[in-house]
Amino acid sequence: MNLTPESKVLIQGFCEFISGTHVAQMQAYGTNLVAGVNPGCGGQELHGLPVFDLVEEVIEQFGVIDTTIICVDPYDVLDAALEAIASHISQIIIITAGVPPLDMVQLLRKAEACETLVIGPNSPGIIVPGKILLGTQPSEFYTPGVVGIVSRSSTLTYEVAYELTKAGLGQSISVSIGSDAIVGSSFLQWLQILDEDETTEAIVLVGQPGGGSEEAAARYIAEAIDKPVIAYIAGRQAPPGKSWRQTGTLATVIGRDPNFGTAQSKLAALKEAEVPVAERPSQIPELLRKEIKIN
Amino acid sequence: MDLLEYQVKEWFGKIGIPVLPSQRIDHPTDLKRLKIRFPIVLKSQVHGAERAKAGGVRFAETTIDAIAAAQNIFSLPIWGELPEVVLAESQYDANQEFYLAVVLDTAVCRPVLLGCKEADIDWESAGEKMHHVVVEQEFSPFYARRLALKMGLQGTLMQSVSSVLEKMYHLFVQKDLDLVEINPLAVSANGQVMALNGKVRINERAIKRHPDLAEMAAKIISRHTSTEINGILGDWDGVKMHGKIGILGNGTGSVMATLDLVANAGGNPGVCLNLRHAFLTDTTPTTFRDRLETGLKILEADKGIQVILINFLGSIPQTEEVVKVIARVVQQDNSELESQVVRSNGSKSRQVQNFTPLVIRLAGSEFNAARKYLATLKTHSDALLVVENLDEAVAAAVRLAKPTANKK
Repeated sequence: MNLTPESKVLIQGFCEFISGTHVAQMQAYGTNLVAGVNPGCGGQELHGLPVFDLVEEVIEQFGVIDTTIICVDPYDVLDAALEAIASHISQIIIITAGVPPLDMVQLLRKAEACETLVIGPNSPGIIVPGKILLGTQPSEFYTPGVVGIVSRSSTLTYEVAYELTKAGLGQSISVSIGSDAIVGSSFLQWLQILDEDETTEAIVLVGQPGGGSEEAAARYIAEAIDKPVIAYIAGRQAPPGKSWRQTGTLATVIGRDPNFGTAQSKLAALKEAEVPVAERPSQIPELLRKEIKIN
Repeated sequence: MDLLEYQVKEWFGKIGIPVLPSQRIDHPTDLKRLKIRFPIVLKSQVHGAERAKAGGVRFAETTIDAIAAAQNIFSLPIWGELPEVVLAESQYDANQEFYLAVVLDTAVCRPVLLGCKEADIDWESAGEKMHHVVVEQEFSPFYARRLALKMGLQGTLMQSVSSVLEKMYHLFVQKDLDLVEINPLAVSANGQVMALNGKVRINERAIKRHPDLAEMAAKIISRHTSTEINGILGDWDGVKMHGKIGILGNGTGSVMATLDLVANAGGNPGVCLNLRHAFLTDTTPTTFRDRLETGLKILEADKGIQVILINFLGSIPQTEEVVKVIARVVQQDNSELESQVVRSNGSKSRQVQNFTPLVIRLAGSEFNAARKYLATLKTHSDALLVVENLDEAVAAAVRLAKPTANKK
């Protein structure tokens, strides 16, 4: 993890999900953005950044890049990420939403082999309040503090930060790992990072129906996390949807619980791990105050 | 999006998966020019399950029988769907029947090969009979052989089944599928294999990079009404419930959290849409602005919806234009309202509400200008409410959806 204001950051592509405002916000936050890559636009300037056609040209000019923020068309994400890996960039944040799942399968195989950290797709990135902003998280909802946030949903990440800030609780690191069906980094990785992070005193985990990552996180919290964790699961009242039905069909086949992927299964796992669960975002500060002594 | 059986078999044939000689029948009289030999089986081409039980599969020995059976099938709706095409196929003598599938498992983030020595298994107890192999790395035929051996197959049958699996996998990757299934794969007395029925589910996120699939999707959309599309193409990005409060948001999590809050506050959530992605019915690229416009239209057209709750937090693409879309919707309704009031001789006592009230939750400095602008709009008192706090916005929406608020 390289999350310091000195880290050199590249932006690949400028699509609908990233605007000049986001770029300016990152710069105002002190993020060291060095360049953009937009094939066909080499030599131009976009959102105040010099633009290149290839990632390797950026490396030639600026040396090793720590993080790249990928914001190209969904169908071009795989190519952009493979280009970044080929240029030895070890941390990739994918903002783009709706990347075809089989492209992600291919990317993850490569990333695992090269030990590249992939965050997203469909992620607003990472913010260390007061220090660095990598992505499109709205920094205005954040204040420096001791609560770490890890979430699968972009907007709920800010919703939680907003509630915490309003209640006078600052944040240490906030990350949304992305809400597409297949994403790179996992809850487990981030729980471990937050557990080791010296500033973080408590963790808020935000989940939603689909997959089994909240359940895995619950077991991991019970086994390995010493810091207090509060959870919030959205979608309890939502009818089972197609996006997670598919894993449900597979459930019995490969020995999974028929409830696999539902909000209920996540809530049960968290209960078993004795993780307090908030009913609504505005209840999170109150639950946190019971766990940590601030004010 | 699921393909119909005859489309699946065209793909199978092209990639070398053995299928029986068959012919597409668009009209019963097509059977007079049948190129395959009797006896045949006629199968209704619909998306619904349990086609055979419903009478959508018939056997015929002669042209006369076949025409009568086809006429019957063409006029038989299955789960509300009438077939546009009937498939005529040769019959096959099966000695044994297997189940084979390739599916993307989003929990292990890898494709999985599935196989079972029984067809039409009961999914409740599939765990004991179904074998699986996770394709961890780049696919190679040994993954298919591994599954065939796990299924207990040997010799040439092991080879022919793994060869079918291999072709299924290539199809899976080539066409960006979520699922490709052969059920049943028949084995004849002399050990030949044949895909008697197949299922293909395309990943909606990849449709637009396959021109042939985009064309099929466009045809489905132009042919069916929106609720039917929902059934055939799968979910649009959101959930369909039948309550009075429609929800629009700029992320799945946000939409779901809003839905929960509405339900917990005693309200009934209706259609909930996530505007972050394109809708499946969009055949050309869209912007956030377009999606908001479509979303509002869908909710306004829904007679059951009495309040629209919009939850935008953080930032959205094209803020200014998005706000103009909202303003136009509200003002249009408002001017219609005024003109109706004028027509009724200014008697304002009459209840004329020709709009769906909007409650808009906007949090974030990006929306400061938007909030000011929306505040300047002259609207009916209930037409537009702009709130910053989510719990308050939900409470307002639930209050406005109470039976006293009439609509249309």
